[in-house]
Amino acid sequence: MSPIAPVAPRARLPLRRPERGRWLAGVAVGLAAHLDLPVGWVRLGFVLLAPFGGVGIFLYGFWWLAVPVGDPADAASATRPAALARLSRPQTADEPGRRWPVTDVAVGALLVLLAVVLVAVRADRVQLDWVLPSLIVLAGLGLAWSQLDAAQRGRLRRRAGGRTPVSVLRLLGGVILAGVGVLLLVAQANGEGVEPAALVQSIVASVAVLGGVALVLTPWWLRLVRELGDERAARARESERADIAAHLHDSVLQTLALIRSRADDPAEVARMARAQERELREWLYDDRPAPGTSVAAALRGIVAEVEDSRSGPSGDPVAIETVVVGDHVPDASTEALLQATREALVNAVVHGRPPVSLYLEVGPRMVEVFVRDHGDGFDLDAVGPDRFGVRESIIGRVRRRGGEATVDCRPGRGTEVHLTVPVGEDDGDAPTSEGADERTSDD
Amino acid sequence: MTEPGGAVDVVLVDDHHMFRAGVKASLDERVHVVGEADTVDSAIALVRELQPPVVLLDVHLPGGDGGGGAEVIRACVDLLGTTRFLALSVSDASEDVVAVIRAGARGYVTKAIDGPALSDAVRRVAGGDAVFSPRLAGFVLDAFGAAAGDVATGDDELDRLSAREREVMRLIARGYSYREVAAELFISIKTVETHVSAVLRKLQLSSRHELTRWAAARRLL
Repeated sequence: MSPIAPVAPRARLPLRRPERGRWLAGVAVGLAAHLDLPVGWVRLGFVLLAPFGGVGIFLYGFWWLAVPVGDPADAASATRPAALARLSRPQTADEPGRRWPVTDVAVGALLVLLAVVLVAVRADRVQLDWVLPSLIVLAGLGLAWSQLDAAQRGRLRRRAGGRTPVSVLRLLGGVILAGVGVLLLVAQANGEGVEPAALVQSIVASVAVLGGVALVLTPWWLRLVRELGDERAARARESERADIAAHLHDSVLQTLALIRSRADDPAEVARMARAQERELREWLYDDRPAPGTSVAAALRGIVAEVEDSRSGPSGDPVAIETVVVGDHVPDASTEALLQATREALVNAVVHGRPPVSLYLEVGPRMVEVFVRDHGDGFDLDAVGPDRFGVRESIIGRVRRRGGEATVDCRPGRGTEVHLTVPVGEDDGDAPTSEGADERTSDD
Repeated sequence: MTEPGGAVDVVLVDDHHMFRAGVKASLDERVHVVGEADTVDSAIALVRELQPPVVLLDVHLPGGDGGGGAEVIRACVDLLGTTRFLALSVSDASEDVVAVIRAGARGYVTKAIDGPALSDAVRRVAGGDAVFSPRLAGFVLDAFGAAAGDVATGDDELDRLSAREREVMRLIARGYSYREVAAELFISIKTVETHVSAVLRKLQLSSRHELTRWAAARRLL
């Protein structure tokens, strides 16, 4: 059974080494997904090929180094147009992989190899002169090639938060080790022992050759780097466009379709258009603060909820003109204020007359809210005790937090509910106190 | 200038044909649309040719150097004595507001405004007064630090609002019309207009660093 469910049965998945379901390095699983074969067969194939001059082991090692880590299904979706990928993400089951501790196994194998070599040297079966340089070359190669394990590099980079010097160090160390090893081998082959003069000469010669080759290859390499950068930028642009397209699809197109199907209900159409406008506006212009950090954002949420759920006396939706000055970190006082504001807004929308205005101002010592509509208002003393709404949910709530609530109705001038709550100056985490400092600093 | 009884001539600049049609239909008989333009370049040419008392100007316009409405105003800066610009936008973004106001617009209203209110605003701008929407008033209070009690003591200070100007701005932000502001503060409408014009001047000339920063970000300075 293949642990990777093929997403598109006809299209061949790209060759990747998945993290899930791997035993050693994921080569067999990746190959199985690529060839659409049961993973057991592939594994059996590697084992059967191993005795034939180590072909199985060599192939496994080659693919380990050459095939990048990744989920084949993800890689396949990445090659599709991003716009499509955003809109329909394939659902893959997350199966925890059976992973062997590769590093431990490698270290163990290295120690065993070392022991074998030592025993061989002791028994005079192998000449130390040849073994040491070979080991150095191997170590250098291993160090340099291990870079290809992109997953690990990615992890390191993520941990360090950017480009790590580790990969550079690794490459440098690998090059130096391999170079020293090769030099030792060459010197060994030339004659008896290592002559310092010959060593220096060969170093100079090889550096000169390498320099010449580098000089020739530099333009080609630069072009590769530039093309890679261009491709990345193009991909980023495409992904941004896809984000916008997905958003428009999810919200605007849906709403437009809804509006068309409900065209005979003007109130509902106006409400949907208003809700969509608000959402789009927020998406385009606002830098969305993290939830629970902004009274202004919480207020906008309340306004949206009231606009969406309540209608005016004639059944028409009512837009609330909202103006916010300053901002504050929510606390118990502002929470009570916002709840009272919500009640006042509902009251203004349902019983008052549009336009309804909402003004929130965060001062250094208090937060003020004005809710105004153009209705005839109501006499607070005439409000019966059964009208729990105004008396308790607006006035009581604010007064319990040490605030003030007044209702001002004048005939022909509309009704205005004025709410204030004090906010602590001492809890210095308020963004407004910071902003105020910043503002006064230039005076 | 227009006679008190006559209609105000207006040039309408917006790149959306549907929106121009909607605005024209909603304006009442006190306002007369004499021309329309839909790009920065055609707007500059038309305004220079007709020199209308009022230009209704969208903030975001294609063409020109990409400067939108602010670019149109800057190109017609020598006409500002006789031709007034009223910015009209769907955008709430403060940098859009600041850009056109600092370029010389006499007011800023959002496109959600209804026909009679827009006609009022046009006539007010034609008379040389400033037009503030509640949102623009809120922005002014925010930018001048008025909410934090940062109030000017002298008249000649450009970087802070006076106590009275702050009162007027707060009432406008609360949804009061000029008439209602005047009644609330027991002053005449003319005085309210004077205060609003003074605030507009401060908004255009102030070097408060919030304004300067926004302006610098849009390369207005």
